[in-house]
Amino acid sequence: MADKLPFPTARLNGGEKKAISYDSSACIGCRQCVIACQDWNDLPRAGRYALSATTWITMEPPLANGTSPLWGRNSCRHCDYPMCATVCPVEAITKYEEGPVVIDQDLCIGCQYCVHACPWGVISTHPESGKSYKCTMCAGRVSEDLKPFCVHMCPTGALDFGARTEVEARVEARAKEVEGYVHGRREAGGTQVLYVLTQTLEGHALRSVAPDRYPLAKIPLALILKGPFSLSLGIKAKFRAIKSALIHPGRLKYRYWPWRKPES
Amino acid sequence: MTSQRPMGYMGRILRVDLTRGTIRTEDLPEEPVLRRYVGGDALAAYMVLRELPVTTKPFDPESIVAMLTGPLTGTGFTPGGAKISAAFLSPMTGNTLGLSNTAGYWGVELKQAGYDGLVITGASPRPVYLLITEKAVSLEDASKFWGQGTRASETLLREAVGLKDARVAVIGPAGENLVRSGMLLNDYGHNAAHGVGGIFGSKKLKAIVVHGTARPPIHDRKELIAAGDRWRQAVLVTKRTPATKRTVGHGREWGAVNKLNWRSSVIEAADTRGFDEDRITLRPCFQCSVLAPWTVEIGEGPHKGTLLQFNGGSEVMDAFYNLGIKGNDVLYLWGRINDVGIECAHFSCGAGVAFEAYEKGLLTKDQTGGLELTWGSVDAVERLLDITARREGWLGELMAQGPLEVAQAIGGEAPNWAVHVKGGVPAMHDWRPLMGEMLCQLTASGAMKPQSGGLMNPPPDLAYREKWGPLDPRAPEGWASQHLVTEQYRHFMGVVGGCWHAQNAAKPDGLKSIVDSLNATTGWDFTLDESLDAGHRAILLRSLFDAQRGWSAEDDWKRVGPRFLEPVPDGKHQGFTIARYLPEIIQEYYKLSGRHEASGRPFLATLHRLGLEEFAHHSHEHYEEGRLRGR
Repeated sequence: MADKLPFPTARLNGGEKKAISYDSSACIGCRQCVIACQDWNDLPRAGRYALSATTWITMEPPLANGTSPLWGRNSCRHCDYPMCATVCPVEAITKYEEGPVVIDQDLCIGCQYCVHACPWGVISTHPESGKSYKCTMCAGRVSEDLKPFCVHMCPTGALDFGARTEVEARVEARAKEVEGYVHGRREAGGTQVLYVLTQTLEGHALRSVAPDRYPLAKIPLALILKGPFSLSLGIKAKFRAIKSALIHPGRLKYRYWPWRKPES
Repeated sequence: MTSQRPMGYMGRILRVDLTRGTIRTEDLPEEPVLRRYVGGDALAAYMVLRELPVTTKPFDPESIVAMLTGPLTGTGFTPGGAKISAAFLSPMTGNTLGLSNTAGYWGVELKQAGYDGLVITGASPRPVYLLITEKAVSLEDASKFWGQGTRASETLLREAVGLKDARVAVIGPAGENLVRSGMLLNDYGHNAAHGVGGIFGSKKLKAIVVHGTARPPIHDRKELIAAGDRWRQAVLVTKRTPATKRTVGHGREWGAVNKLNWRSSVIEAADTRGFDEDRITLRPCFQCSVLAPWTVEIGEGPHKGTLLQFNGGSEVMDAFYNLGIKGNDVLYLWGRINDVGIECAHFSCGAGVAFEAYEKGLLTKDQTGGLELTWGSVDAVERLLDITARREGWLGELMAQGPLEVAQAIGGEAPNWAVHVKGGVPAMHDWRPLMGEMLCQLTASGAMKPQSGGLMNPPPDLAYREKWGPLDPRAPEGWASQHLVTEQYRHFMGVVGGCWHAQNAAKPDGLKSIVDSLNATTGWDFTLDESLDAGHRAILLRSLFDAQRGWSAEDDWKRVGPRFLEPVPDGKHQGFTIARYLPEIIQEYYKLSGRHEASGRPFLATLHRLGLEEFAHHSHEHYEEGRLRGR
């Protein structure tokens, strides 16, 4: 089945599907997860309020500590059908069966297709290298059966991690308990970050995404033309992209065909 | 590792001379000194002890403030690693070591900017603030912020430097006007007390704004994460919830709060009136799981909708209960006292005497500038805060000096109603039913001190060496020993850059996990014994500093406001007082700690045992020799 998917897949360990859960009713917006992510990944402790190549989680809204009654976690959702990996011309983004969608910066050529294709807007470009960065779901830790570090450090238990089926049962029960609802199960074809929310998405400062798989990529025309018709990203990149296109021609439509319909 | 220093440190401190307007970067002391004092309050005290001339007064330009983080400040993997400690000559007592600690994020940010601490000397001719980033350090004009409250100043300064992530420590009008208990506030609700804000004011230093993104080097990250996890487990039972903030938890714990200038101690339902209507959010310090600080949006009454941010300290609640204030008015005034920047105990003990004198007719409206000092009057307390912060009128001037000065100026019986310790104040709780806590407050240098806690048996981690207990809270036996050991492990937190709220000695692994965190961070091999010795050094440094300036151990029971030693007036501990065991219990404490029971100075043997030979000339033996020669 993995062969039919239009993006690279791989397995970390047992292949059991995992999920992160975020309970907005328990979140206090302390941003310890933001710092924990930077510390685990050895990123500069900078820019707590906006996603960037060195800040992979934010707590919305971007208000200073304690002044919001309501919070929303903004980070990669680790989609079941990741558009970022689908549009990547050099197969630098892999979807692991356990859940993580991971960008390999050694392979990334900085074309920024993924940045624009992501329906959640959570991929950032490094200002110097031009490469793409985002949350990795701590794939290295997950491969060792450890929780992502943000989950590990959450002081209120608002973040949790485990087998997808168990997490799903827990969020459903919790949503009932707080008279809220579960978000993230069906959006973009399903994600591996499940939210318990008590207000509207807008209230939690979160983006609304349709349930369709492979939503249309909004890659600017200039970037689309720059990729195939210039050598600006390097000759090696060009060869790798051509090789990928020859092996997987069916993936090209996700990148270039503007009249494509999202799949339900 | 290229440095001579262990990991956990940034390796540099800033030296700021405000008279000359110069800023210099200095290396942190090398390994042998760090291994002895570690950092935080001990290293800060060590610097001030070595550098501050004995004749300098607190508000002289030559007065020094040393602010130091510890190796665990800002590592990010443990709870409680958020502290920075300041050491200076106390403006409240004039002759003892001022020590203040503050948490939140500011100290961490300083380390992220590349500095373990800073030493501030001199006085600027005009208001300035210090801006510290990874790229540059500069003194900037603060004239447009001068006179502003701490809350507005913090917001405005962050905007002025254009760095949304910047952290700010700032004084309010009280510090600017040299109120002796002026505080330095950071991250809105956190504060460094004991008058350090007054010293900042005397130096015309409004604020220190810091921004940084680096993190301290760590010897063994995997080990540190594991030790931090164990530490987090040990403090799990102390984790706060919004429900704990809706009670008078501290008072319920030992059955007493301050009421009517320490004339009652009974908790009433009205004390928490309206708390159930408030929206409370816990607001932890940097990467701490204890969640002690909090934000409240008042949900009822005249201050409905007011948003306030507090640290964990419930002392401020008692400060206003002591003046008859109840419910959400207490929280409102908590916000006001933080905004003007006055230490709550110093204000409340002074105001308590004034209110009592007004009640008893010793003080009239003519003297108060028209203020009606009736118990529970929010208007009167708010106005008194303002005139104290601005030293306005006869009463405002006295309040800015302290409770002892207020009582003496009122005269008559008033000096008997004052609560003070050596002219300073105890931390603001009614400690009188608690033997260990009273011992702690009486032997403190006139303000906050690592609080003693009430463990009736030795901490499980120290069971291999400590055999006291079970202690009887109403009998003196064993408390001197308990207090000394408790003080040592509490001070150990101060030297590593940790917070007492994040230390739970009552749990197995509650101390060992912290020592292991220190070792994993630095690469050292501290044992529990060595960590207690580090705490012991911090205690001795204070004695050495105070003794140089005329303090002796006798001041601990002789220079005390009489009401602090009165029997508990009511409630379940009615009639109890530590006074019946004085001075013996304090003398026993000094003897056990290797200091002379009257002079309070360390013996030579104590200094040698702890590697403090460089201070041998301040030992009790040298002092005695000099005294005899002088005679």
